[in-house]
Amino acid sequence: MDTDFAKRRRRDLIVAACLAVIAALVPLFVKDVYVQNIMVLTLMYAALSQSWNILSGYCGQISLGHALYFGLGAYTTTLLFTKFGVLPWFGMLGGGLISALIAMALGYPCFRLRGHYFVIATIVIAEIALLLIQNWDWAGAALGIDIPVRGDSWLKFQFTRSKLPYFYFALGLACVAWFVTWWLEDSKWGFWWRAVKDNPDAAESLGVVVFNSKMGAAAVSAFLTAVGGSFYAQFVSYIDPESVMGFQFSLLMALPAVVGGIGTLWGPMLGAVILIPLTELTRSFIGGSGRGVDLIVYGTLIVLISLARPQGLIGLFSPKRKEAVR
Amino acid sequence: MTPLLETRGVWQRFGGLIANSDVSISVGRGEIVGLIGPNGAGKSTLFNLIAGVLPPTQGSIWFDGEDVTRLPAAERCQRGVGRTFQVVKSFETMSVIDNVIVGALVRNTVMRVARRKAYEVLEFCGLAARANVLASDLVPSEKRRLEVARALATEPKLLLLDEVLTGLTPVEAKTGVELVRKVRDTGVTVLMVEHVMEIVMPLVDRAIVLDLGKVLVEGKPTEVVRDPKVISAYLGDRHAVGA
Repeated sequence: MDTDFAKRRRRDLIVAACLAVIAALVPLFVKDVYVQNIMVLTLMYAALSQSWNILSGYCGQISLGHALYFGLGAYTTTLLFTKFGVLPWFGMLGGGLISALIAMALGYPCFRLRGHYFVIATIVIAEIALLLIQNWDWAGAALGIDIPVRGDSWLKFQFTRSKLPYFYFALGLACVAWFVTWWLEDSKWGFWWRAVKDNPDAAESLGVVVFNSKMGAAAVSAFLTAVGGSFYAQFVSYIDPESVMGFQFSLLMALPAVVGGIGTLWGPMLGAVILIPLTELTRSFIGGSGRGVDLIVYGTLIVLISLARPQGLIGLFSPKRKEAVR
Repeated sequence: MTPLLETRGVWQRFGGLIANSDVSISVGRGEIVGLIGPNGAGKSTLFNLIAGVLPPTQGSIWFDGEDVTRLPAAERCQRGVGRTFQVVKSFETMSVIDNVIVGALVRNTVMRVARRKAYEVLEFCGLAARANVLASDLVPSEKRRLEVARALATEPKLLLLDEVLTGLTPVEAKTGVELVRKVRDTGVTVLMVEHVMEIVMPLVDRAIVLDLGKVLVEGKPTEVVRDPKVISAYLGDRHAVGA
């Protein structure tokens, strides 16, 4: 059985590498900027959802406030760049670390809450942060911040002529988020998290310090989410509170994992590949005019998927579910 | 030699209810001790106090020569207290082996070693064939054994068994009894809460009877079952007089 397990892990790694290579080749054939834009967003949300999945899927602490970390990443990078000229790469790292620290500071009181109470706390905290930023004049308040264009460069991570650099960065981010999850899945942290999700009392009796496990998951999850936020700020080159910290981001991070398969390695990836293009396409083709038809279609699809596959679409790929390791 | 486990004057109050009053017991190394008593005697409360689910209102708990009264459950596990739950608490979305690995990780941080250890424990408990099945797919008696396996994987010095033999068929109970004996033979001390007297009495070296939150009688199982106080606690005074 030992070898079965190792084989499955190796197979996952090979499949991921193949998919990454294929994805990297796609832009050579798809030149349409609109489609490339969707691909960048898809990869970004895949990475974000994968990060969300670490705290909410593996560790079972459902967060609907991840927009906070996303926004923190975006704001840290942008403020450091516009006010102090710090390169976005350092901003990314800084934003990640700040988010991880804030996640732990917030986790300290919030991880005493269980279930719905925890979810509500995450929503409320993210909303408070949104209000604070909206009223913080130095940080642009509700007007937001324009990132000045200083010409295409990897150093400043700005590209006006082509979307390809963004695409490859987003691909890299998705790969990193996937790989971190893959690696954590077979680590003591991964086991602790799943134990905490399934039964905190039993976990505690087996020597797992539940509180610390949750803190660890929150820190990793927030760090990766903030890196995604930093990237997004560079990608759109303009941020305002609502567009990087709005509640919809919290949902957009959670949904791919939920639809694809929460607490699974591939779920968030699959969910993002299905949902994000769908969101964008429904918005372009039947959205607009404030009628919200796109959202109705989108919502209906999610309801249908949930009814047909409550455990996530990833279940379609493992017919021998009873024997599945997870 | 100091006993492995000792409770000194332990009280537990829940509001106006006194679940344990002045309970002082000790468990020696290598013993199998049965903790018995009628419903509501305070067995499970005492058990939870020893496992560290909650601290006692008053009194102290000593494990391996150390005061552990204020230590949380996880730290007691790290010091060598393993436990099972009366209502099984498997990690339902995880496979059987993964359940046991969680326990094994207390002593082994290298995954490969923890996995091997978990597999050995599963073999010891007769669950190796079910290693890759989801815990939610086990039948009740297997789930009980998984509880024991998980606790054993933490390499405890003291194993607390909370009604692991209750509600099993006679055959299953017999394998359970054998497993407990095997566990003791590996040098683990066992403290078990049990309801079914006829199963537990031949198994334990010593029995402690709790009634109304107090230690009623303590001694060899054969003496305990004949004690008029025990009979009256279980069956009422009328029977005690008859005996």
